[in-house]
Formats: sequence, structure tokens, C-alpha cells
Amino acid sequence: MADFTWTTRSPLQQAVIAGRHGAAIAKAGIRLSEIRDFDLVQVFARRGQWAATAKAAKAYFGVAAPTGPKAVTGKKGVLVWSGADQFMALSPRLGTIQPVDGLRGVFEGFASLSDQSDGRCLIRLSGPRVREMLAKVNSLDLHDGVFPIGAAATTSIDHTAVNLWRDADAPDGSPVFNVLVFSSFADSLWHTLVDSAAEYGIEVETVSIAVD
Amino acid sequence: MRIACPFCGERENGEFTYLGDAKPKRPAMVAIDGGAGAPGEAEAFYDYVYLRDNFAGEMSEYWYHGGGCRSWLVIERNTLTHDIKSVRAAPGAGAAKAGAK
Amino acid sequence: MASAQSNRLAKGGLIDRNAPLSFTFDGKAMIGYAGDTLASALVANGVTLVGRSFKYHRPRGILTAGPEEPNALVELRSGARREANTKATTAELYDGLDALSQNRWPSLGFDVMSVNSLLSPIFVAGFYYKTFMWPAKFWEKLYEPAIRRAAGLGRTSGIADPDHYEKAWAHCDVLVVGSGPAGLAAALAAGRTGARVILAEEDRLAGGRLNSDGGEIDGMPAGEWLAGALAELEALPNVRIMTRTAVFGVYDGGTYGALERVNDHLPVPPVHQPRQRLWRIVAKRCVVAAGAIERPIVFSGNDRPGVMMASAVRTYVERFAAAPGKRLALFTNNDDGWKTVEAAHRAGIEIAAVIDSRKDLSQHHRALAQSGGFAVHNGVVVDVKGGKTGVSGVEIALANGGSAQIAADVLAMSGGWNPSVGLSSHHRGRPKWREDIAAFVPEGAPAGMLSAGAANGDFSLSACLRTGHEAGLAAASDLGFKGRAGKAPAASDEAISISPLWHVEGRKKGFVDFQHDVTASDIALAQREGFESVEHLKRYTTLGMATDQGKNSNVTGLAIMSELTRRSIPQTGTTIYRPPHVPVAIGAFAGHHRDENFHSVRLTPSHHWAAERGAVFVDTGLWKRAQWYPIAGENDWLTSVNREVLTVRNGVGFCDVSTLGKIDVMGKDAGAFLDRVYINAFASLAVGKARYGLMLREDGIVMDDGTTSRLAEDHYFLTTTTAKAGPVMQYLEFCRQVLWPELDVQLTSCTDQWAQFSIAGPKTRDLLREIVDPAEDLSNEGFPFMGVREVRLRGGMFARLFRISFSGEMAFEISVPARYGDAMARNLMKAGEPFGVVPYGTEALGVMRIEKGHIAGAELNGTTTADDLGLGKMMSKKKDFVGRVMAGREALTAPDRQVVVGLKPVDKARRLRSGAHIIPKGAAVGPDTDQGYVTSVCHSPMLGQWIGLGLVERGRERIGEIVRAHDPLRGEDYYVEICNPVFYDPEGGRQRG
Repeated sequence: MADFTWTTRSPLQQAVIAGRHGAAIAKAGIRLSEIRDFDLVQVFARRGQWAATAKAAKAYFGVAAPTGPKAVTGKKGVLVWSGADQFMALSPRLGTIQPVDGLRGVFEGFASLSDQSDGRCLIRLSGPRVREMLAKVNSLDLHDGVFPIGAAATTSIDHTAVNLWRDADAPDGSPVFNVLVFSSFADSLWHTLVDSAAEYGIEVETVSIAVD
Repeated sequence: MRIACPFCGERENGEFTYLGDAKPKRPAMVAIDGGAGAPGEAEAFYDYVYLRDNFAGEMSEYWYHGGGCRSWLVIERNTLTHDIKSVRAAPGAGAAKAGAK
Repeated sequence: MASAQSNRLAKGGLIDRNAPLSFTFDGKAMIGYAGDTLASALVANGVTLVGRSFKYHRPRGILTAGPEEPNALVELRSGARREANTKATTAELYDGLDALSQNRWPSLGFDVMSVNSLLSPIFVAGFYYKTFMWPAKFWEKLYEPAIRRAAGLGRTSGIADPDHYEKAWAHCDVLVVGSGPAGLAAALAAGRTGARVILAEEDRLAGGRLNSDGGEIDGMPAGEWLAGALAELEALPNVRIMTRTAVFGVYDGGTYGALERVNDHLPVPPVHQPRQRLWRIVAKRCVVAAGAIERPIVFSGNDRPGVMMASAVRTYVERFAAAPGKRLALFTNNDDGWKTVEAAHRAGIEIAAVIDSRKDLSQHHRALAQSGGFAVHNGVVVDVKGGKTGVSGVEIALANGGSAQIAADVLAMSGGWNPSVGLSSHHRGRPKWREDIAAFVPEGAPAGMLSAGAANGDFSLSACLRTGHEAGLAAASDLGFKGRAGKAPAASDEAISISPLWHVEGRKKGFVDFQHDVTASDIALAQREGFESVEHLKRYTTLGMATDQGKNSNVTGLAIMSELTRRSIPQTGTTIYRPPHVPVAIGAFAGHHRDENFHSVRLTPSHHWAAERGAVFVDTGLWKRAQWYPIAGENDWLTSVNREVLTVRNGVGFCDVSTLGKIDVMGKDAGAFLDRVYINAFASLAVGKARYGLMLREDGIVMDDGTTSRLAEDHYFLTTTTAKAGPVMQYLEFCRQVLWPELDVQLTSCTDQWAQFSIAGPKTRDLLREIVDPAEDLSNEGFPFMGVREVRLRGGMFARLFRISFSGEMAFEISVPARYGDAMARNLMKAGEPFGVVPYGTEALGVMRIEKGHIAGAELNGTTTADDLGLGKMMSKKKDFVGRVMAGREALTAPDRQVVVGLKPVDKARRLRSGAHIIPKGAAVGPDTDQGYVTSVCHSPMLGQWIGLGLVERGRERIGEIVRAHDPLRGEDYYVEICNPVFYDPEGGRQRG
């Protein structure tokens, strides 16, 4: 009998090449990173069960589930609003248990759960020129006064549906945007992002959510 | 055109898909047990599936926010001016917040 | 040897004399300065002849100094970057610029086609319409080639554009279009209140006419005030100034289209930068301060090189320090034209005379004439003397009946100003005529839009500043911004006076539309032939249909029509204004989406592994799928596909089927929901079982099919075809949210979550036993056909295993989280090595499904019913479902419908082709004998011949009948036999084994 190893491969493995890309500008205008090693579960409240779902989420994550386009951070992860009655629970990968199994007891009878840990890639965009770059691929107004830290949106990038939310600012004061994109589109979307960012100079890195 | 999704706020129309007139109501599902369906159902479905008014002016329409939150919306829109009078979510979008069954 | 800049003035101008730039025009080397346009550099070099006209090939010179230019169109750059119809008046000069004049042959100076001018009686209005009436055979052979040679503007390169274009979004409270005095005042007022402002300027420099007309604002020279205003705007964080950006259209909901010429001023864009960027600006309010365009007067010879708009003369002199001539005459009907005389006089250009059509002369102008030592004639110009390269003099008809001849080498003309009403009319607004300024002003503008300054008919500097400020403030306060806007900047000039004059009767041609060669007599002809409506006038004469879209000519043309028809100008009306207001390259609209970026691409979890193995990929919607996997020595696709099929049928193979749409259908009522959307029952499906399901549209036609499994009481895992994944999800959401909100159902797409592989062939279990934990029972009893469950794998993994088969072989589908998809492919190769496993692609998949008579996209084609597909018995009689009622319609249940059958050529060596029509043997080919067509074909290695599926009238009753396959597209006609669609293992024993 042969031995089998189960090496994981990110859909972005080929596309993400760490280091500097694009225009040779002293300080990269854009920082692009793939965030790996997360669990992601779609929590979809059942008919008439929003209050119970929210209560369960509060008890488990330590934060009220978002009722509108927001991303909130609790002790066990980030809850990102993803549509009416729904949110995505993003947390560092446990590995020991399937993500849905870990939450089943929490939401039993209140909400339907769907594992999306492999269904999405998580891309983080930052840097002083990040808003100009995102303006090339997304139609939202990401101005500080309109899209503050914690704002979230279900929207499209390059005709591909994404979850976009704004994280705390980077140490250099640049805004930070997270994008969850369907895995099969990730390679293509990454190239589009790199093309859009190239004129500003890009710094690419890969980050594990566990050490982030 | 820009559409104010009741869940997401105002978005460009590229995020939405148009379906058509929201006035016709689908005849209800009926119980069938080896027998025929409801009386007059063929005519009712003929109306529902094929008969459409050709509005010049205000009409209510189904739109799908597929490039966003995947909600179905009912939009009152003027087909002559593209002015949008109202946007509301379909009854099943946000059903978790509706009264428990 | 570059020519000296003979017409460059010694001082002044917004040019950098320390930065000389070399360029060529029609191969002749010249020098200009940074800050020049191509046109101003040509003026500075004394070039007057710059092009030939469209129809008559008449010599033409530079008419304007802006984007409305009809004459000075050139081809810029060479090779793939060659761009036709570039306006010399807006093309910024760069070092090494090469420009070619257009529409001349063999050379600009000697153009054989100018003989068209002699043939002008046949090239009159309506020429095209009359010509189309000629006999067709003459048209194709004779006239069209001749016309194409004679008419037309620049040439395209015929090579793909190597530059990159992109699109972007911008958002603001107040969009200000134009940065002249009105636009600057508006931006300052709105910006100071705290509103987010975008100030869009088409030119390289902000300032508009301030850069050409000077003046005094708030007690300082206009240039000084301009610098201060720009500094203040730049310092405001809520204000964004976008130069080289032309707003070209107004769309619904306050969305504006704008084109930024990011790098058109460079020979080649810097690496990583786009050439142009198309903006969609979302603005809550808009102030149009786009200025006005000076209009020509129509008189004999008004198109001769050296006749120039008065405001353009001023721009060349003031902004570019380039003198269009040495001795200037002015023909005007208004005060503004006189400013040109003042500017030229200041610059040391000799003033030959002013011809003013108005009776009364102001004190100011009288004094100016006296100090300048030139004559003022009350009259009109009736002819322009000179040659093809310039003006030598003008002939005047005096108001008192006399005449005069004046020597001059440049004639400036001013017929008044037309406010830019394009943007304000884009939502079908019809501009309003204002008698006092003899011009149209905006009326019926889109919601949220105001016009200010010259764009609104306020031509004086003081009025521009005041109305700009007011509009900017009004827009911001309307949005609730309460910051202090300060006072409006002030100037002390007065409104200009005008007395309309459109057309001077003359002996020769007087041009209305310079670019399309439409003359006053063409308009008269159109009127005589009954084309009096402006919309008819436009199409009949092509007035205003050239690349300048009538910016110089439309108002004059309709004014002449109004005179001819003795109607007022408002009664005559205007044509409808539509975007784009300025030409926009298709490349800019396409933006990033071309070549490999035409659309986004979806990759399967095993894509990179397949690529390593040299798989050939095929586009399936957005997906790249492995089509087949050639091995060493194979160099035609059929060899590879035959090998893959035979290996699966005799051993084992696997295929990535992750592209199938996957949807988690969850909730208490998930079963009831599926019962409604599928024609067959799903509520009764046991947990741990899969079932093939078929969905209909409401009209009774099949929508999609797929296998759906029940993973838990309240959790189904639904699959769709690859092509319909998106539409089915959208449809199911419609059912859930709109049709049956009372059901407790939640839907989530999980297509990308799972890497799914079909493993097929008699040795499938052998392979699986290698990789699946030995404790898992894979026997027929332990894992029966259509069973589903989670299993443990060797090496500490789990997978979902489905015992389903599309190939008709003993098969399973195995599913793991997508990040393990690559490892799964590699491990399947490893586990299957002892059994000779092969990966197979979509071609082999297609062959095996045709051999089994399984339907796919070609049969689920939007016209077929369940019964057509041989699946009528699946329609439940115990429950209602979508499409049930309409599927029962007479036409959908008629016995003579075309149904799925198998087809095989009688000549076994013949290749069957899809698309061939089925005709009864012995019948003549025609629509009445057409009984169906071939939908899917393949070469079956199992049968050793080409086989196919088809839709054939009453097909199931005709098994064994020989019919004709008629293929007019490929010129083929042969006999085929109608047969059972299940060609291989019709009892189905293999998949259950």
C-alpha cells in the first residue's frame, strides 16, 4: 500500500510571487497579500430565527452579529455581513475539526452553515495608493467618510462577486481592505489586481492569518 | 443607472440583473395525487408565463443583486425616464428577521 | 534642417522657450516649444495648409484652437500606434512627434482628388441617398470604390493597439466640468463649503479662456489670480483637479463619463501606465462650466487657409506666442471679436481693417481703431482672395452699397458664441433660444445639473465668475454643506453685444460644416427638396455628422434653414444631443478587458497539475478545463481521446468535474423546496442517497439537470451543469425569495469549496481501496449505486464519496475541500498506478456520455421537453412542480415532436457531423421535409465508428430507419440509421456492478 500525503495548495500559489513588482518606485504604493490558513463558515439564519442566531453568535464569538454591511471582530474571529440574514465567520484555521462541525452546536436549529474555507481566497490590499487602485476594479466609494473602518460590502470586482471590508489602518496610516473572492476566480483576479496596481509599485507577501 | 439596494445602499446597475414585470403572480402550487391540477390552471399559467404589458411609464420590476448580496428586489421604475421611485426587498429576502413561522 | 519659427512672437505665451521640441509635419522637420499644441507649433512655423476636406479635397487651414477643430486633423504616430483624425489643436507637442496630413493624394500641396471640387454639382446634399438609388451593379464595381478613395478621413493602422487602456470610478458631491473662470469660481465655492469636488478640465492646463484672454480679477492680472485659485484648490483635501480629462456624457443616476488622456502627450506611455483612462464619475451635483464655442460666419471662401476663428487667433497670440499672420483683418458681428484686434495689436501684428456687420460702433472700439490706425468698415466680407496656402486679401460689400478690397494674410471671423449645451441636453433636454445673445442656452438639464458662465450664455468675465460661484455654492448647499464659500471673484467687464449674422450670399461656396463640406447652398437644396426638419436636414446633408459632431456648424445650419423657411430659430429647433460629446476610442471603453483579460478565467483545483502534464485546455464558459491529456508520441487529439476512453472502459480513469455548479440547499423545508423545482421527488430521498433530477422552466421546457444528494435531514447538496450554475442559483434564489418566502430554505453556492473528481471504469474500486481507509466498505452492499457518504482516506483525510456515473461505468465521484484538489489528482495517479489509471478530459467525458445516450448541453438546448429527452416518465404525478402545467400543453406533448435518438452513418467509415439536418430517404431537401438535426457527435472507440445523438421527429418510433443527413454548411449528404441512443451497455449492468 502506498502512503498518501495531503499537501494543500492555494489557488493563488502560482500567482502570488513575493517581492516587488510593477513600477520601480522607492516606496511601493500598493501592498498585496494573500492571507492563508483560515476557516470560513457561511452562517445563514433560518426563517424567523435572526434573533436566536444573533444571540448564539454573540455568546460564541463575543460580538453581536452584523445586521448590515459591517465587519465586526470578536474574540474567536471576524464576522463579515454577507447579505440579508447572513454573515461569514472568519477565524484562524483549527485544522483538528471541520469548521462546520465546530459551529454546528452553536447554531443548531437557528442557522444553516456552509463551509466556505476553500470556496474563497482572502486577499489583503493596502498602501498609500490603494484607493486609486481599487477605483479601477470596483465601483464603490471607498472614501474615508463613506467607507470607514469596519464597513463591509458585497460587491463585484471585474464582474466577479466579492466580499470587501475595511480593516484597521496599516502602521503607515494607509487604509487596509480585505477581499474574499471565489477560489476559482482568485488567480485571474490577482492578475487583474496586479495590473491595476503596477503603475504605483507593488509589494507582494503571503501572510498566515494565524500569525497575523 | 444606480439602484439603492435596501441592504447594500446605492450601487451601479452593473451589479444587478433585470428579470421583468413584477405584477404577474405565479399561480399557487397545488396538491396533486395522481389526478389533475386546479381547474383553469392552463389559462392561469398562460397569463403568468406569456402575457405582459408593455409599459411606457412607471412599472414594478424584478431585479437581482447578483453582483452583490444576491437579494431579489422589486423596483418601481419609470421606463421613459429611468427614474426609480422605490426599491424594496422581495418577501423572502430578510425572512430570518420576519416573524417566526 | 528645421525651419525657423518664423511666426513665433518674441515674447509672451505659456510656452517654455528653454525646452525646444523637434517634430515633423508631412516629413518636414520643425521645432516647437514645450507647452505648444501641434497646431500652435505649426502656426509658429508659418504653416497654413494642414489638410484637405472630406468631400471636395479643398485645401484647409487651422480654424480653431480647441477640441471643436474640423480641419486640422492629422495622423499621429506610426506603426501600430498610428491614430487617425487627431486634432492638431488639442494634440500636445512632444519631442519626436511625427504628424501626417490626411485625406490628400499624392500630397497635401497637389491633390488629384481636388477635382471633386469641379464635380461638386454631383456631390451635393443627398448625394449618398441619390447614389444608393443607382443600379446595384454600378454601385459595387464603380461608385463605391471611387467614393471610398475620394472621401473618408484618416487611415487605421490595421494592427492591434499595443497600448493599455483602463477604466476607473470616481465619486464626488459636486462635479465641475471645465476650469475656466466659471468652473474655478464654482469649484472654489463648493470646495470651501467642504463638499467633495472634482474639477475636470479637458486641457493640459486649468484656466480655460483665462489663458488666452487675460483680463483682471479681484484687482490682479488674470494669470496671477488663476495661480492663486489653483493653489487654493490644490490645498483643499476635498478637491480633486483632473486635467486632460474631458467629460463626454451624462448617464442615469448622476453618472458621468469622462476620458482622461493620461499619456497622449508622450510618444509612448511609460511602462505600467495606461494611454487613456475612462472614468465613470458618480456625482450628486454637477456644474457645467464648459464654456462656449465661437461660430463661423458663412461667406464665399470662408474655408480658405488663413481664415480663422477670432478667438483662436487670440489663443495663438496670447497663449502660444504664435502669430497666425502678419496683417490681420477681422470680420465680426459682435463685441467679442474686437478682443482679437486688441490682442493682435498688443502683440505687434498689423491690423488691416475691422469689418463689422453692425451699424453702430462703441466709443471704446472707435478709440481703439483710431489709436491702432486701422479702418473700420460697416459691411460684410463677400470673398476671400488668395491661394491654397493662404489669404491675400478680402473683398467687402459695404452697408452703404459700396465695396472695398483689403490686403491681409489672416482673416479672423466671429459670428458670436454658442454655449456648450451638449452635456445639459444629454437627457433629451432641448436648449432654449435667447434672442439677446443670439444663441441656445441649456434647458431641461438632467437632475442635479446646473450650467454656469459661458456654457449658460453669460459671456463676460464678471458674469462667468459670479454665476460660477453661485452655481458651486447652490450645488453644495443643496447637499447640506454649510461651510463659508467666501465672496465671488469680481471683474468689471460688461456683457458683449451681438447682432446676428449667419450667412452672406456670395458667388462661391460658403461653408457651414467644414469637416463634411456642407455649404449654404446644400442647405438651400435640402430645403427645396423638402428636407426642412432639422433631423432631416442633418441626415440629408450630413451636417454635423463628422467627428466634430457639428460643434462649429449645427446652430448656423439651422439658422440658415430658419431663414429659408421663414420660421424662427426656436421653431426650427435643434437635433437631439447624445453622448459622447467628444470622440472616445473603443479601446477606452474596453479598458482592461481585451486579449487574455477579455473576461475573468476560472481555474479548477487540479488545473496546475493538469498543466504540468501537458493537458490541452478548452474554454467552457469562464472555466479552463482539461480537454485531453496527450502522452508522448500522440500528436492528434483523436488518438489521445480514444486511448482515454478505452482505458476507462477497460481499466480506470479520472476526471476533474469540479466545474459542475454546487449548491447547499438547507433548512427545514429544503426537501419541499426541491420537490417544487424538480419534476421528480426529493423530499422522499433518504439521507445518504443521491438522485438524478430534472428542472423545467415555467413554460414546460427543460432548464437543467444534475445529481442531488441528501447529506442530512435539512441539508441537500445540489449540482447543476457547468454552464447553468449561475442561472440556476439565480433562479433558485428567485423561488426562495419571491415565489415561496414561506418556506424555510437557505441557499449557498459551494461550487468553489469542493474539488470533485469522477473515477470511472471497472477497476474503480481497486483504485479506491488503495486510497480510502480499509475500514470503509466499498462493496455493492456496503456502498450501493446512488449511495453517498463521508469516508476517511489514508493519510488522515476525509472525503465525500458519491456512487454516481456519467460514463456508464462503475464509477464514484470523490470530493475534498478544494485546497486538497491538487493532492487528490496526484494521489489518484499514485493509487491507480498499479491499475494503469489515466486522467481523462472533457472530450473523453463527452464520448462516453454519447455512447451511453446521456443528454448534455446540446440536447438541453432550451427547446426540449422532458419527454423529448426520453425522461418524460420522471415527471411526478403525485406532486406539483414548476413547469408541470405548461409541459402538458398540446404542442409540448404532440406525438410528432423531435425526440432524442441515436444516429450512426450507414457507411461506417464516414464521419458524422453535428448540425446536419435529418431528411427522410427519398424526400427533396426543404423546410417541409426537415425532420430534425444531429445534436452531438463523437468517434466511439467502443463501436469503432462515428456516432451521435439527434433530435428527430417521432424518432423513437423509427428505430432502424435509414434517413438522410443533409449538411449544406459543409456540403455533405449521407445516410444514417436511427437507433437507440444508448449505444453501449444498454442494460446498464456496468455502472451497477
